[in-house]
Amino acid sequence: MSFRSREFFAFALLVSLCACKREQRIFDPGSAASQPAGATPLTEVGAGTSPPPGNRPNAIAESAYAVGEGKRLYQAYNCVGCHANGGGAIGPALMDSEWIYGSSLEQIHSTIVQGRPNGMPSFAGKIPDYQVWEIAAYVRSMSGQLPSDVAPSRSDHMPMVVPEQSRPKEHPGAEHPQPVITEPQR
Amino acid sequence: MNEQHVVIAEESYTTTSDAERAAQLAKVWAEPSGFLGWFKAVHHTTIGKRYMVTAFGFFLAAGLLAGAMRLQLAFPEAHIMSPDLYNQVFTMHGSVMMFLFAVPMMFEALSVYFVPLMVGTRNIAFPRLNAFSYYLFLFAGLMLFAFFFVNSGPDRGWFSYVPLSGPDYAPGKRADIWAQLITFTEISGLCVAVEVIVTVFKLRAPGMSLNRIPIFVWGEVVTSFMVIFAMPGVVVASTMLLLDRTASTQFFNPAVGGDVLLFQHLFWWFGHPEVYIIFIPGTAIVSTIAATFSRRHVFGYMALVLSLIATGFIAFGLWVHHMFATGIPQMSEGFFTAASMMIAIPAGTQIFCWLATILTGKVVLKTPMWWVLGFFFVFIIGGMTGIFVASVPVDLQVHDTYFVVAHFHYVLIGGAVFPMFGAFAYWFPKLTGRMLSEMLGLWSFWLFTIGFNITFFPMHILGLRGMPRRVYTYPADAGWTALNQIESVGYIFLFLGVAVFLYNVWHSLRRGEMAPANPWQAGGLEWATASPPATYNFLNMPTVNGSEPLWDALPDQPVVSGMHEDVREIVTTRILDAEPEGRDEMPGPTAWPFIAAVVTTALFIGSIFRPIAVSIGAIPLAIALIGWFWPTREESQRRARRNIWEQS
Ligand code: HEM
Ligand SMILES: [Cu+2]
Repeated sequence: MSFRSREFFAFALLVSLCACKREQRIFDPGSAASQPAGATPLTEVGAGTSPPPGNRPNAIAESAYAVGEGKRLYQAYNCVGCHANGGGAIGPALMDSEWIYGSSLEQIHSTIVQGRPNGMPSFAGKIPDYQVWEIAAYVRSMSGQLPSDVAPSRSDHMPMVVPEQSRPKEHPGAEHPQPVITEPQR
Repeated sequence: MNEQHVVIAEESYTTTSDAERAAQLAKVWAEPSGFLGWFKAVHHTTIGKRYMVTAFGFFLAAGLLAGAMRLQLAFPEAHIMSPDLYNQVFTMHGSVMMFLFAVPMMFEALSVYFVPLMVGTRNIAFPRLNAFSYYLFLFAGLMLFAFFFVNSGPDRGWFSYVPLSGPDYAPGKRADIWAQLITFTEISGLCVAVEVIVTVFKLRAPGMSLNRIPIFVWGEVVTSFMVIFAMPGVVVASTMLLLDRTASTQFFNPAVGGDVLLFQHLFWWFGHPEVYIIFIPGTAIVSTIAATFSRRHVFGYMALVLSLIATGFIAFGLWVHHMFATGIPQMSEGFFTAASMMIAIPAGTQIFCWLATILTGKVVLKTPMWWVLGFFFVFIIGGMTGIFVASVPVDLQVHDTYFVVAHFHYVLIGGAVFPMFGAFAYWFPKLTGRMLSEMLGLWSFWLFTIGFNITFFPMHILGLRGMPRRVYTYPADAGWTALNQIESVGYIFLFLGVAVFLYNVWHSLRRGEMAPANPWQAGGLEWATASPPATYNFLNMPTVNGSEPLWDALPDQPVVSGMHEDVREIVTTRILDAEPEGRDEMPGPTAWPFIAAVVTTALFIGSIFRPIAVSIGAIPLAIALIGWFWPTREESQRRARRNIWEQS
């Protein structure tokens, strides 16, 4: 294989990898990920530990389909009731660069599953795990953290806010983790 | 039939001056050679052949996708393909067949190659636009398949209805790619429509008055007008879809006053005429082949032409019959049922004209004629089930079942693929200078026809038994297994039929018998020149004395003289009576259309990801267009010299 064609194949592979991820659809109703998410044990120093094995957070965060599903689930599980369309109401705003409990996908996943003081309920055992990841990925897209060809466009509702796709990227500032004190799990 | 033919161009020239003229013309009209020459070609035969090969390639690719579907459906509860892949495969199959095969083959490829020959001129009007349209078409297909191979093939069906294809239910880029595929192919179709209309209205050979235009050319003219009126509908629809998806406009969002049915109206305003755009050239091919092989002028020339035109008009009044299941008012349902039935009048007229031609002629049963007979059989069955689905109560039962899949394959394969194979069998000698094998031709005809009916007839029954279309599998106890398996076996026959055709072509190109200028003793002007035609088409520009110019020619039929042969000059004639009106010069080879097409492609693909790409891309596009239209000095001076009015 000549130098040129090697480069070409490398490029083609690269392109295919990006595209694959964006368009990936995950339909595996039998897997562990489709079981309701369980809460992972909390520690006193950080906001949760690493996620249980078997999930593919990156594949989810870069799949436009998963993020789109997350957007619908965000409505369906009534996240919107407290966080509004990202602007915040009872709960904090999700579309800004302020993150109390961390802006990474894993941290958002933990926040949803474990719940947080001052009113964020725990959804452990209520939402299938893969859906939690989808919601988490969507929540990140609210502040423009995902590439715009993965972030959702407008929905078929009354337009409340600028679609995630067209939002400027917010850069999460320094995070201020609040001490989380819970009883050790048994 | 008059056995004496005017010979307008021949390989062996009678006088030395003819040979000199031929050499001179060949030099002036030469297509550039070499690797770079490929990008500069502008002659309609070159571009026409590229169109045919490319469109046929897409036919094969979409046919293989159909094979994948038939494999998946051959077994109940099969998991050979995932549901997600199946969605992409049937959408690719439908979109490729419709947008990259049927229309480009029946309209663009055939008319680009044959219309200038049949009207007796030296090139198509606007040859550079023609090259541009070809490259856009090619790039559209390459783009679509490239995205398909990286798991981004469109997956919402070939008509991508909103809201399913809208921003809310189709995240990702798949639907955007479909929308831009449409823009690409429709622009290339519109370019060719303009070229065909101008060629036919202004560049006909002297004497070819409106009532002597060959039926095939009439068919392509009617099709061109339909393209001009129909295609903007879908371009608008797909652009609005793209804007909704990437720029958050609200055209199809009912929550704020948008309308999802608007998409269906715009789509079917195009989509119904589309099927006539596909089969009007088909029927025109049938008229041509039927006349040649019945050895007589076609019966009812005037009736045939008028039915083509009537079909063109009526086709625009039927689109709502695709929307009977959307809950439109009963009054409109009644109106559009009646309008749909009305199309049977011109269709029936044509069928009776063909029957009369065949029954009163001396039929010669060669392969092209067999394909015509196959067309009758298949297309009439498709027309009958068309009457079923045009009646609202029946349609509500069979809508979105395999009955509809059976119906539209009978009309589409009957109306496009059978005439296409007939056209290849008929014109192959002209295209390549070689004869196809008759025996292999008959094998491929029978394999294809039998395979076609085995594959698609059972779909009627499956549909009536309730099998919905666009399902990736079905339960074992639904009672659909046996018929599905029969259909999949039929696909093997179809496959073999096409394979035999390909082998026939390959074999003939290597050691087929050499073809004379007019192997079938046909009457069209395309047969007056060598096989394959030289790049100047005709040594002497012909004149015409009837609708079958070679049969109707006088013993001393005159030719056009007094042309400049040191430049690319052609005669222009008047619209109605084709009296000579003037001379004009055709532009020569250039790479600018290719460059413009590359830039347009970048712009379209960019706009899938960022709307701003349209504005940025406009700058290189403007540069490419300026380069394209930049006048050369000698050419402008020649034009000025010809323009006697301005000089005085
Ligand atoms: C090679 C022979 C062909 C076979 C075996 C074949 C088979 C099929 C099958 C199995 C489907 C999918 C049905 C479903 O899942 O609902 C389909 C859909 C379709 N086919 Fe074909 N087909 C063939 C040729 C053609 C041709 C020549 C055309 C058009 C000129 C065509 C146009 C379509 C369209 C428009 C659809 C609908 C796609 C959609 O639902 O969006 N097919 N075909
Ligand atoms: Cu229709």
